[in-house]
Amino acid sequence: MILRVSVGLVYAFLLLPMVIVVLAAFNAGNYFTFPPQGFSLKWFANFFQRREFMQALWLSTELAFWTAVASTVIGTAAAIPLVRGRFRGRDLLNAFVTSPLLLPQILTGVALLQFYTLLKMQASYGALLIGHIVVTTPYVIRTVTATLTHFDLALEEAAQSLGAHPVRAFFEITLGVIKPGVVAGAIFAFAISFDNFTLSLFLTSAKLTPLPIELFAYLKYSFDPTAAAVSAFAIGVALVLVLGIARFMGLEEFTGF
Amino acid sequence: MTRGARVLLLGPYVLLLAVFFTVPLLLMLAISLSRQSFGQLEWTLTPQHYIHFFTDAYYLGVLADTLWLGAITTVVSLLLGYPLAYHLALTRSRWKPLLIVFILSPLLVGIVIRCYGWMILLADRGLINATLVQHGWLTTPLPLMYNKFGVTVALVHVFLPFMVLSLTGVLKRIEPQLIEASQTLGASPRRAFFEVTLPLSLPGILAGSLLVFSLAISSFVVPILVGGFKVHVLPMVVYEQMLSVFDWPFGAANAFVLLLISVALIAVYIKVTERALRGIV
Repeated sequence: MILRVSVGLVYAFLLLPMVIVVLAAFNAGNYFTFPPQGFSLKWFANFFQRREFMQALWLSTELAFWTAVASTVIGTAAAIPLVRGRFRGRDLLNAFVTSPLLLPQILTGVALLQFYTLLKMQASYGALLIGHIVVTTPYVIRTVTATLTHFDLALEEAAQSLGAHPVRAFFEITLGVIKPGVVAGAIFAFAISFDNFTLSLFLTSAKLTPLPIELFAYLKYSFDPTAAAVSAFAIGVALVLVLGIARFMGLEEFTGF
Repeated sequence: MTRGARVLLLGPYVLLLAVFFTVPLLLMLAISLSRQSFGQLEWTLTPQHYIHFFTDAYYLGVLADTLWLGAITTVVSLLLGYPLAYHLALTRSRWKPLLIVFILSPLLVGIVIRCYGWMILLADRGLINATLVQHGWLTTPLPLMYNKFGVTVALVHVFLPFMVLSLTGVLKRIEPQLIEASQTLGASPRRAFFEVTLPLSLPGILAGSLLVFSLAISSFVVPILVGGFKVHVLPMVVYEQMLSVFDWPFGAANAFVLLLISVALIAVYIKVTERALRGIV
């Protein structure tokens, strides 16, 4: 009983800020007080009318899309030899390819900013995209690895003994079986890129601002609920993406429990 | 799998990482040892920026505050996360997928948004204070934000999911028979927990704590937004040196101090988890 109550309280704590942001987005007043001051969509209207937010939203979507495409291809390819290959240094290589995940992103950001500046590549779309691909690919490798480990190699061998070329056997059998992990990885890469703040902060300019950076800039100077509308919109996107992962891979498999 | 196929499949990402991750980090190390005069970098091998950092009382204070905030965040996350993970590992409820969504969704909602949620709640004219003042229970608002209290609350919120995921992975692997056996042998549920479950979950506790600590000491969005630049931590100093002061060598030296602490923690983390944890973090 005590366990249940405390667990409930911790869940409430986890969800509270998001619930508050969504409520504030639909609240008519400038400040969110209790009880709320009536329902209004004006903050959403303001969000959709402001050019800087719309441009940022478009940039973030486009960036997340290309990041997801690239990191899914690169990450799926890399996961195969990491799971199946028997070679010296595999463990070391495994640690290396997941290292961007473990290193604080502020460090990756600072290092890339200096690197790009010396190469005169700073604040360009390509530079930002590469940065996002570097940090999202390890997530794809993780999800694909998870599904690939359960894969029965006999299936592929059967296809090959029936005359299929190894490459064809891979595309027609293996990819079909590991598809859930690949799709979940792609969705997760999209989500990570769409919400990325820390890395983007170091790689953007006044002309190249993804949505989280635009929101951050807005919050530094104003406190009005337009920011809540932007946030509520992004929370909606995150929810859709979580449901997508649940649909394709199953959340228990995805989280490893 | 042939060697050629391996190189073809692994090559692109390894190359990408080498050029856009390893080289930039090595460059950062080189910059931290260089000198800057009038905005121009001079490539030297001077330890002066590190000496500056470790002899200046201000920066040592910042370092101490950073580690202290990280420690508090870790302990609170563990205390809040353990019951959650324990429940999640054992539950057979049909609501379990929903509970996982509850834990995952904060992870997928951007950090700026989560901080903003806490700002709406904790500000002087925020929901909590405004409600208390409106009803006459308070005359002056409580100092909930722009201090270490607010920063700690938000940090715990941001990193709690990582703790829960680390703990659940380990708790789920504990054989229920072990606990049943100890109870058959006469142990009370309480004693079974403290003498069987808790010791067996130690790897998860250690892994989760290292992860949360390492993430918390490198967070700068929370101190900037919820701390309002009033709580000074190491990543914020790095951010200011890089993007406002433009003192690259000193900024890089600060970043490298943070990197050394993280790498040490990660090394222990990898040792602890081995392959025990196969999740998203």
